[in-house]
Amino acid sequence: MTTLLHRAERTARQEGLAAGLAAALSALSERPALSGRGAAAAAPGPWAALPARDMPPGARVRTHPLADREEIVFVACPGPRPAGTPEQAEAARLIAAVRLGIVRRLLDEAVEHLSERTAGDEPLIRKQLITGAVADIIAEVELLREHALTGDDDPEALADLHNRLDDLGWQVAKLFGASGYIADHPARALYVSALVANVWTDRQQGGQAA
Amino acid sequence: MTELDARLRAVRDHAREAAEDLRARALSIDAEPHAMEQHLDSPAFAMIRESALPEEYRSASPAPALAGGDDPAGRGSCLESMVGVLELFRGDVGALLACPSPALAGVFVALLGDEEQKKRFYERVRTGRTWAFFAMTEPGRGSDATAMETRLERDGQGGWLLHGTKRYIGNGARGGIGVVFARTGPSPLHIRAALVELPASGWRAEPLDMVGLRGAALSEIRLDGVPVPGGMLLGEHLPATRRGIWGAVQTFNNMRMQVAAAAVGTAQAMAEYIARHRPGTPGTRRAVARAEAARSLVYEAAARIDRNPDRGYLSSAAKLGATRMAVETAHWAAAALGPAGLLDHPLLEKWTRDVCAFEFMDGTGNIQRLHVARGYQSGDADGR
Repeated sequence: MTTLLHRAERTARQEGLAAGLAAALSALSERPALSGRGAAAAAPGPWAALPARDMPPGARVRTHPLADREEIVFVACPGPRPAGTPEQAEAARLIAAVRLGIVRRLLDEAVEHLSERTAGDEPLIRKQLITGAVADIIAEVELLREHALTGDDDPEALADLHNRLDDLGWQVAKLFGASGYIADHPARALYVSALVANVWTDRQQGGQAA
Repeated sequence: MTELDARLRAVRDHAREAAEDLRARALSIDAEPHAMEQHLDSPAFAMIRESALPEEYRSASPAPALAGGDDPAGRGSCLESMVGVLELFRGDVGALLACPSPALAGVFVALLGDEEQKKRFYERVRTGRTWAFFAMTEPGRGSDATAMETRLERDGQGGWLLHGTKRYIGNGARGGIGVVFARTGPSPLHIRAALVELPASGWRAEPLDMVGLRGAALSEIRLDGVPVPGGMLLGEHLPATRRGIWGAVQTFNNMRMQVAAAAVGTAQAMAEYIARHRPGTPGTRRAVARAEAARSLVYEAAARIDRNPDRGYLSSAAKLGATRMAVETAHWAAAALGPAGLLDHPLLEKWTRDVCAFEFMDGTGNIQRLHVARGYQSGDADGR
């Protein structure tokens, strides 16, 4: 599992959200309990987020304008959905790894952006508030990676992992300022990865963060 | 804690009725923010517009104040404005910002415009078919207004020519009249504001496709020698220290409160949505209590601005806290709906995108942190 998580994170960081999701779901679909049914069979809810290129022919699909641009679609998963299966826990950890990869990808880009942009003749990256934010983000990445790797299948622990990833993605998105809020900006992947996690995780009992 | 008297409660209740109309239009405006014709005769839009107009330009009986907050336009106090606008934001922030009205430019024109300028501005926006723009932000400068690069150059015939680029300007690509900031020289006192009426040569504006808050129709504007008649510089009749930057600071003090109110209204809407669609969800009472506390802080900050308009400490604290609270509430609400809840509840999904915009409006969180720290060090936190 450790290797699969590292591979999903690395792929997302190097190739983007759709590629990272493809790597994660490919690993998930190898689970014996899903034999031949595809990763979508493990989705905890009525929809599964898939790379558009892996969409089953004839599937009922829902789209989202931002997800479209990341080449992600949502495929209907009809019928009752079992809760708390080992496959769902593994999906939650794999999707967490993808989200960490996207955070790293965008953090790299944000630091480049902040190194070029100046205020008062000084690059923004040298401003203490910005430096502190970058440090907090990367420290949280290290912590959450271990959280995903520990293999705890407890739904509350996995919900907490993704709740913290929601916040982590937002901390990175803020580094781009308003430019990261434009739909064509690469930071879009942070918003879409949160949407993907919303589809692939069941956090109703762990949603006590607010 | 600020208590609402009978008049303020009436303002709040009046706005609640209009909020329902805004809510009904929210998803349509988010999907197609430039297909506005079907919404222009909305009763809520008429109420918002009329409330933001000085009395002599209104076409209906005066409504309780909902926008602005300074006295020059005769629109009542900042607190009164916040009480009303917060309820409208609770309906839907994107729909409210899509309304053709004087908006932020109206606050500025009321402060710095002479009678002729006010007449030109309000005659255009009173029709309900003209959006107003307030063009301050530039692509490379973000919140640092004093580093502005857009220039006003003399045309040799008593007028001016505007050159530069503005970005993230609400209604920029669909506006008919508005305010554009530029500099006539190197110092902060050289920063001036021009009243620009469209169409005008040299003006090119394009909408930006945003992640959320799409009703605001943020745009990029390129100014390539846009002519500004000599009489259209705002504040010419005022002392030099009360022109461009001073007016902008006053206007942004107002805007900062509106952003805080937008964060609170949207957070309240999300908490109520979860309470209705997922009753018993853990964390609901906490989310409601946090939004309520932020609402109380917004009222308190507004009351303080009414007492002392130049002290922005508490409004920055309100914006900082309310924005963070709204994003946290959005994350909680998205999780509370269960797997794929955001796909099956598009209104909530929209709000989870909208709340992110508040961070970038009127100074990022870091700018507010600097204001708050400065205010604290000046003793502003000791006055409560």
